[in-house]
Amino acid sequence: MIDILLKKQVDKSQLLFFALSSSLGLAILLIVIQLFIDTRPVFSSENDLLGNQNLIIYKDLGRDNAFTTDEIEELKQQPFINKTGGFTHGTYRVLASVTLPNYTGISTEMFLEAVGDEFIDIKSDDWKWQPGDREVPIIIPKNYINLYNFGYAASTGMPQINEKIIRQIPIDLKLTGSSKTELYPAYILDASEKINSILVPESFLSYTNKTLSPLKESKISRIILDVINPSDPKLLQFLASKKYNYLSNDVQNSKLSYVLKLILSIVLGIGLLITFLSIYLVITNINLLILKNKQTITQLHFLGYSKAQIAKVYHTIAYKILAISIVVALVLSVISKIIISPYLALLHVEKTMTSIIYLVVISIVLFILLALYYRNHTNSKIQQMLRPNTSLLTTEN
Amino acid sequence: MQITIQNITPNFFTPASSEVWSKNFELLPNSKYLIKAVSGSGKSSFFNFLYGLNNRYSGSIIFEKTTIASFSENDWTSLRREKISIVFQGLRLFPELTALENIQLKNTLTNHKSETEILAMLAQLDVDQLAHKKAETLSYGQQQRVAIVRALCQPFKILLLDEPFSHIDQTQITNAVNLVSQEVEQNKATLIIASLGDTYNINYTKILLL
Repeated sequence: MIDILLKKQVDKSQLLFFALSSSLGLAILLIVIQLFIDTRPVFSSENDLLGNQNLIIYKDLGRDNAFTTDEIEELKQQPFINKTGGFTHGTYRVLASVTLPNYTGISTEMFLEAVGDEFIDIKSDDWKWQPGDREVPIIIPKNYINLYNFGYAASTGMPQINEKIIRQIPIDLKLTGSSKTELYPAYILDASEKINSILVPESFLSYTNKTLSPLKESKISRIILDVINPSDPKLLQFLASKKYNYLSNDVQNSKLSYVLKLILSIVLGIGLLITFLSIYLVITNINLLILKNKQTITQLHFLGYSKAQIAKVYHTIAYKILAISIVVALVLSVISKIIISPYLALLHVEKTMTSIIYLVVISIVLFILLALYYRNHTNSKIQQMLRPNTSLLTTEN
Repeated sequence: MQITIQNITPNFFTPASSEVWSKNFELLPNSKYLIKAVSGSGKSSFFNFLYGLNNRYSGSIIFEKTTIASFSENDWTSLRREKISIVFQGLRLFPELTALENIQLKNTLTNHKSETEILAMLAQLDVDQLAHKKAETLSYGQQQRVAIVRALCQPFKILLLDEPFSHIDQTQITNAVNLVSQEVEQNKATLIIASLGDTYNINYTKILLL
């Protein structure tokens, strides 16, 4: 009966407005949270676009530009440097030759270097070598492929290649050290966008250094740093004071990542603001609803209806609307995920369902929190209204 | 239920000297009282004090042995369901509900009367044909009769009627008085009627001038 009465008095358009503002606020919050979760990999060190948290440093050119053990130790102790890795190079001459069917073979002198696996942006099970293995995997810089395709191949009539075909090209390495010369078959495993060098597994380099030039010492002339923020002024100051050089490209990428993070934080801030405003709007709506029914509420109370019985009707309305708005918000955020995902794909973000699971959990938590908040608010408003001496009836005398 | 009044005066206006304000007296079970006064002397305030809507008075009102100032909100809610019923001067029907819905709104709290009994009471006051009409479409006299039936749809030990028959003709007043008396006797209750002057041919235990 009380339901019938209160339902007759509740304004449908007001409820619709209530639902709309609630849906809008929650949808914006969920979309922003989802965006935050989805773009996280862009900023992580796994991603080479913006997550390039590595910096390669080297000394000025000259005869003695290798890093000493003390210098490496000092680098390791800096608070803004997470990890350091030295580039070791082969202590022998390398002649690489490639024979393509129907073409004259080409051969070139080159060099080999190695660096810790954790600094390489290519993860592959084939990236390993041990004595007795048939072939040596090599990683070359990506711009070498471009140079070949658009420079060398175009001018000499050689076929163009991509990263898949390149694996199938047999390469013969002739390594000439101070004590002996050996031949190794090799292939190009992949091309790296991050490291500008010709890399072989560390195990191969140390093995060949030992066997081919046992008397020569391998020096570290370039160091790769894993840093928290490559554009950190403290880091740059430190490098300048030591007269270490670095590629400014890496620092610029980090600045880009910083700006993007800043923009995303601003978006999150605005989203939170809109959400708070919409919650405020919903609260105002509840107040209005209760105020409009002030007479009914007090009269029902004087008839013998308890506060809890009266409040229950308003709780039910608020819960229903809240549930509908959360579902609407969730649907909107999933739709927005579908719309945004092609753009994220451009940033090399893998599609995952993780953010949706997070969103569902967050929605449930939000529902519980907001429901409790609305419930307490409604109770306190009704309580206020039903205090003795505040009723409409006390005006009769 | 015995009501003991000890020296009460409203705090928000100064009443003229009377047999109610600043006096000590008792209202006994199975008795009928008339509070007779001109308008503005505080009849409704006195009823609001008794019904727990207003506590701006000095002195004490005691139900049985408990001062009503100590009642919690829940105490009042259960009193209003089981012990004390009222017809407000302003009736306080819900205009958008039908006469019967208005009555059922009260009745469902305790399921005191069946729908047949309610319709019979309405018939006794000659408003049964209006049971399914919205309260806002009824005349004030008809609404008064609906409000009286509503007040009877709960168990009570105290029945407060604030100028209940002001817009009802003599025949219907007689019917209403009969119905009310019958229910008061059944409930062994204290009846307190406020009126501007009419006594409605009821045999009062006491008439108090306010």
